[in-house]
Amino acid sequence: MSHSQRSDIFLLDAERTTWHDETLWFVRQKRDKAVYATPEFQELRQLASDIKDHTLSRLNFYLQQFEENARRNGVQVHWAADAAEHNAIVLGLLRQHGATRVVKSKSMLTEECHLNPYLTQHGIEVIDTDLGERIIQLREEAPSHVVLPAIHLKKEDVGDTFHLHLGTTKGNNDPQQLTETARQHLREKFLAGQVAISGVNFAVAETGSVVVCTNEGNADLGVNLAKVHIACMGMEKLIPRLSDLSVFTRILTRSATGQPVTTYTSHFTRPGEGKEMHIVIVDNGRTKQLGRPDFRASLKCIRCGACMNTCPVYRRSGGHSYDFTIPGPIGAILSPNIDMRKHASLPFASTLCGSCTDVCPVKIDIHTQLYKWRQVLGQAGEIPASKKWSMRLLSRVLSKPGMYSLGGRVARQGLRLLPHGLTHAGGYNPWAIARELPEPPRQSFREWYAEQAGQ
Amino acid sequence: MTSSREKILAAVRANQPAELPLPTVPLFEGDDSVEKFTAILQGIGGQVVEVTDVARLPEVIHGLYPTDYRIASPLLPEANVPVDANTSIEVLAGVELAVLQGEFGVVENGTIWVPEANMLHRALPMITQHLALVLDRRHLVATMHQAYARLTSVGSYGTFLAGPSKTADIEQSLVIGAHGARSMTVLLV
Amino acid sequence: MKVALFIPCYVDQFYPQVGIATLQLLEKLGVRADFPRQQTCCGQPMANSGCERDAIPVYHNFVDTFENYDYVVGPAGSCVYHVRKHFDIIEQTPAVQHVRTNTRELFDFILNVLGVTEIPTTFPHRVGLHLSCHGQRGLHQANESEMTPVRDGQLRRLLSGVRGLELTELDRNDECCGFGGTFCVSEAGISARMGQDRVHDHVRNGTEVLTGGDMSCLMHLEGIVRRQKLPIRVLHAAEILNGILL
Repeated sequence: MSHSQRSDIFLLDAERTTWHDETLWFVRQKRDKAVYATPEFQELRQLASDIKDHTLSRLNFYLQQFEENARRNGVQVHWAADAAEHNAIVLGLLRQHGATRVVKSKSMLTEECHLNPYLTQHGIEVIDTDLGERIIQLREEAPSHVVLPAIHLKKEDVGDTFHLHLGTTKGNNDPQQLTETARQHLREKFLAGQVAISGVNFAVAETGSVVVCTNEGNADLGVNLAKVHIACMGMEKLIPRLSDLSVFTRILTRSATGQPVTTYTSHFTRPGEGKEMHIVIVDNGRTKQLGRPDFRASLKCIRCGACMNTCPVYRRSGGHSYDFTIPGPIGAILSPNIDMRKHASLPFASTLCGSCTDVCPVKIDIHTQLYKWRQVLGQAGEIPASKKWSMRLLSRVLSKPGMYSLGGRVARQGLRLLPHGLTHAGGYNPWAIARELPEPPRQSFREWYAEQAGQ
Repeated sequence: MTSSREKILAAVRANQPAELPLPTVPLFEGDDSVEKFTAILQGIGGQVVEVTDVARLPEVIHGLYPTDYRIASPLLPEANVPVDANTSIEVLAGVELAVLQGEFGVVENGTIWVPEANMLHRALPMITQHLALVLDRRHLVATMHQAYARLTSVGSYGTFLAGPSKTADIEQSLVIGAHGARSMTVLLV
Repeated sequence: MKVALFIPCYVDQFYPQVGIATLQLLEKLGVRADFPRQQTCCGQPMANSGCERDAIPVYHNFVDTFENYDYVVGPAGSCVYHVRKHFDIIEQTPAVQHVRTNTRELFDFILNVLGVTEIPTTFPHRVGLHLSCHGQRGLHQANESEMTPVRDGQLRRLLSGVRGLELTELDRNDECCGFGGTFCVSEAGISARMGQDRVHDHVRNGTEVLTGGDMSCLMHLEGIVRRQKLPIRVLHAAEILNGILL
């Protein structure tokens, strides 16, 4: 299915589409308020962008510096070329400790690697501890947003899920009470956690630390109660210096939710006394993207989700319409690198309005990359044949002024003479499903101009 | 495992672009007043209580919390739950109030630096039902730039803590008290 | 100053009155613009569809048509943006560079080349301004809400000077209308929904006449207005500034 086919399903529920759009627009407005209140915000974006560009240009050095410092801190560092290797490393560590249960805080990387189903298949109970992630885990769904994984659900949906799985009263949809239920339910899991998996927001090369940002405190609670901490990170999470965090902590949450900072910005440098800490550094296509000059800037992404909140398409099609771990505009430029054929429709799921580029806190030229992916897809033959041939025909017409004038006249006359029901049949004219065609004038501008000149 | 490491690093070397400059980050000064710190922290669900005299700290705490709370704190003689790095999870889970020392506060976002050394146990600031941080009013900086400039080391573990634990994962409705502390009070001395 | 009029293909075919208003408006401001008949299109439909290579002959036709003019002026931010930004895949001969630099959107040309800040005319209606993304974010013709709460821009200024004209304030000042070139048919459902939402923002805030600098967005919005039989007229801003009477 293409993005547009999946969107059409989402759009069937018009009221829900309105609600989804308005909810995310509200987040975008909160972001705006926080950004307007930070006078140096645009300067910070430039700094963040430059720091990330620099890091990518010396990634080889920073990866090794980070590894060396982490090892010196008593942390064990593992390298995974792809998702399969990442999953095998994590399972190996769990087996080594005889663990049958793991608590996991938010990590888009483990989603990308499909770690949960893999561990479950191997007899490990995985508990997602972020509230949003827990909700969708209970519903066996994928996250629909990188920061707000359950944003596609209404409180009634969550109420039903909690009634089914956690025994809340049917019809209790109060977010306060549902959250309290999740707190009690997950506390038991935290207390019994043997191993904790966390994601990584930033990895500091000069100290070997990983930084994890949460509002709920679930990463800290899980990690600090477990015997073993496994932090999983994509290799693009590196930043050179501790002081660079000042830039990133200032832009991350302001862009994401409009908060000035997350409740917990935690720096994990050495394992606790008698405990173990592991870091898994994952490639999974990132080095390939690094080698694509037009697209490498996508590796600067800090997963704030601002491009999703602002995207007028995402807000009306929902995260699942992208059918990729990272939805929205950033997902549309990351996904073709992973599987060009499967995700061929995503770079076309945009009007190229450019709002994503303008909210991006690390200044990724998202809409330009969408345009460039379209060209790559076009040249690779990954666009529908009908589009390919009609564009070729259009090119013939538009590069020959005589043919263009004639074609225009014929088309306008046709529109004038044919019955409305035929010209507006939605079956072959998608324009007309919800829109009237322009009323064809008797004369084109060029015909009028020629007439004037003739007089 | 070594082979993946070498494979990845070789691919990075082959694919990374020519070196681009690393910028110097300015210190971006700003308002470092107690007033703004208080306003920002309240805005994110925290509470600020000014304590005129450090000696009155126990009295202030008695006024703020029920007297029968199980309290863990290195700062109060009346703390009744002894906690250290080896304290069992069951004991930690019973703590109702932790009173800990905050190192310094950041005015722009209401966050407070709490290093492991001030925590008794790494999980205490999150597992306690309620959290109070004692903060010297002279130890406020304007922005995160000054905050990191002040941190020569982040130690083994440390966190910038801003307000109580919260979530908005259900329909964007803000709920205070997700997994960590249900309330967070700063006792400004 | 030798000025050529660039009338995009769909304006030529469907909205000749916009071309006429552009020509007449420029004349009133003392500019006699030629309309070279060899012109067709900027090539954007092919390029946006991932067929940039098919657009190359169209790019060359564009450059050949306009290379001997000082300025190329068009009433369409999107097409102008395409010429300026995406003609980078053909050899950058002096002619190509000249055409790219000097192809200007109509109101940008009026304000920044002619230096005209006020156009004396009357239009006693409540007007809703639709900002074209390519004009606004691409050509920087208006402030962006991603950067600042201040709503300001070239067209807003020109329209504010029109006697009797009252600008309506929208809930979402600069959200995309969903036209998006071939997006409007390849993602017809989302495109229509975006357009409906834009139009209803205007309805809610009292717009009688919906206007803008990009006829492509307006064609899409007009299609929705007419389908829903809403009491809104859609006009290109050149028509208003040229003194159209309703």
